[in-house]
Amino acid sequence: MSTLRAEVAVVARLDLAEVLRSRWLVFCLVVHTALAAMFVLVGLRESGVVGFTGMGRALMSWSHALLFLLPLLALTATGQVVNSARDDGTLELLLSNPVSRAAWFLGTSLVRVGALVVPLLVAMPLMAIVGSLTFGQAVPWGFLLRGMAVSSAQLVCFVAIGLALSTMVRNQAKALMLSVLVWAGAVALIDFGLIGVMLQWNLPAKAVFALACLNPVQGARLALLSAAEPELSTFGPVGFFVANHVGAAGLLAIGIGWPLLLGLCAWTTALARFRRRDLL
Amino acid sequence: MRVELDRIGKRFGNVRALCDVSLELPAGSRTALIGPNGSGKSTLVRLLTGMLGGDGGLRFDGRPVPTERGELARRVAYMPQIAPRLAAPVADVVRAVGGLRGLPFDAIAAVAAELGVDLVALRRRPFRALSGGQRQKILAALVLSSGADLLLLDEPTASMDPKSRAVFFTLVERLPATSTILLCSHRLDEIRRLVDRVVVLEEGRLVWSGQAAGYLDEHAVAVVEVHAEGEQAYAWLGERGFLRGPTGWWSRTLPVRERAGLLRDLSRTLNGAVRDVTARDVERLEPGDAPRGEPR
Repeated sequence: MSTLRAEVAVVARLDLAEVLRSRWLVFCLVVHTALAAMFVLVGLRESGVVGFTGMGRALMSWSHALLFLLPLLALTATGQVVNSARDDGTLELLLSNPVSRAAWFLGTSLVRVGALVVPLLVAMPLMAIVGSLTFGQAVPWGFLLRGMAVSSAQLVCFVAIGLALSTMVRNQAKALMLSVLVWAGAVALIDFGLIGVMLQWNLPAKAVFALACLNPVQGARLALLSAAEPELSTFGPVGFFVANHVGAAGLLAIGIGWPLLLGLCAWTTALARFRRRDLL
Repeated sequence: MRVELDRIGKRFGNVRALCDVSLELPAGSRTALIGPNGSGKSTLVRLLTGMLGGDGGLRFDGRPVPTERGELARRVAYMPQIAPRLAAPVADVVRAVGGLRGLPFDAIAAVAAELGVDLVALRRRPFRALSGGQRQKILAALVLSSGADLLLLDEPTASMDPKSRAVFFTLVERLPATSTILLCSHRLDEIRRLVDRVVVLEEGRLVWSGQAAGYLDEHAVAVVEVHAEGEQAYAWLGERGFLRGPTGWWSRTLPVRERAGLLRDLSRTLNGAVRDVTARDVERLEPGDAPRGEPR
């Protein structure tokens, strides 16, 4: 076990340098700060006027921005990891030394998750405190924690999906294209997109609701919006139905537990494939 | 370390990259693996490093590699031809790779210094910001100080200057006699200095295996260039396969073993007409028709 830990540490240190050098971490920090600032400036200020429960629309806009951007960030950060490491010779150097494939994959995964999640965990509370001090409003810590947990689960899920894509496609350009397609599918198939699918293909309503629950972006959206009043105008018809059937705890499970489980499945599949297949 | 390959095969889709390659590298042997582009050299080396899987049996010291790679990895060191473009600082890369083998930074730095690279001075520079030669020297230092029993070297001095190349050869000669070396190279000086045996691959098949001296006799070529004056000299040079270049020099490429005889004839026949003569070995082998005389 200690050998694996040492190997993972070596891989992680070198990959972290790669992430820092490419300024990816800074970019993530900027995106998360901008999203958090938007929440503070629009959400908190509006909540000061109409109360926290009345801030549904601002919250919805912020949630959508967050949930549209996070999967894209995660997929672009990881969709080409294996391919680029193969192309620039990093994989060859490390794996021809006493580093197991599992250690390389684990080390790289941890760094990529950390590079995306840590800036989020720093930027959001920081901006909330700044906003609170500036506007004199109490920080809604409960909602903030929920937001951070849901967002982190989204990032973990899509990092794992991105890693899985990078082990499946050998070509960097194809991997990027596939990442964008996955992202487009995930953000398109929420609520009105699903209603459109239902109408177009005459899908039974329950299948549409099941699809909604299976889409981690939709799950995260519902989990975030459930902090506000469960209104049809914010949840949308599919979300409203799901929210009424599974309740608040169910929404949290769909928004946090399901993406983590899906991510774990994707990551395990990716690891198995990475360990088995030819690397060059 | 003894390396045994038993009917090794490898396919990439419909392309057969290696076909029934059987070979034994005794412990302490020094072997060059050569062949034209696409002959399967890189595939074979990558199979040995574990980057690729294949059919057939592969054993290091009698132990099956696929199932015991974890334990055997520490005893194998690989030097790729093209150094990776890592963003990490030089010190991090050296410490990371050295740490995996329990090598202190200073020990690696000492070898690097012999090759002309000051690791302490470069320690904060991103690895990818170094020149190709510097990166190759650092990889050489990592491999040569690794203490590995099997060294896989892929064109190890391709980006090195002549002085560093000479130092590299000396450092390899200093390795323990039990170290097994497999060298992928077409460079004559590397083959002459580093190996005693040559293995030739063509289209994924092992077509020749034997002593390096015998292979070099067949394949090493030299270029003889002559600056001469007079129609008689021109006719003589033309008859012997020399071609005249735009600067007036006549040149001919020929097997190294024929060079001495040609120079002797030249000085005997054209003594008064010759203004200048140069003769040099071609640095790279161009593998093509392998000699078929020796057993595989």
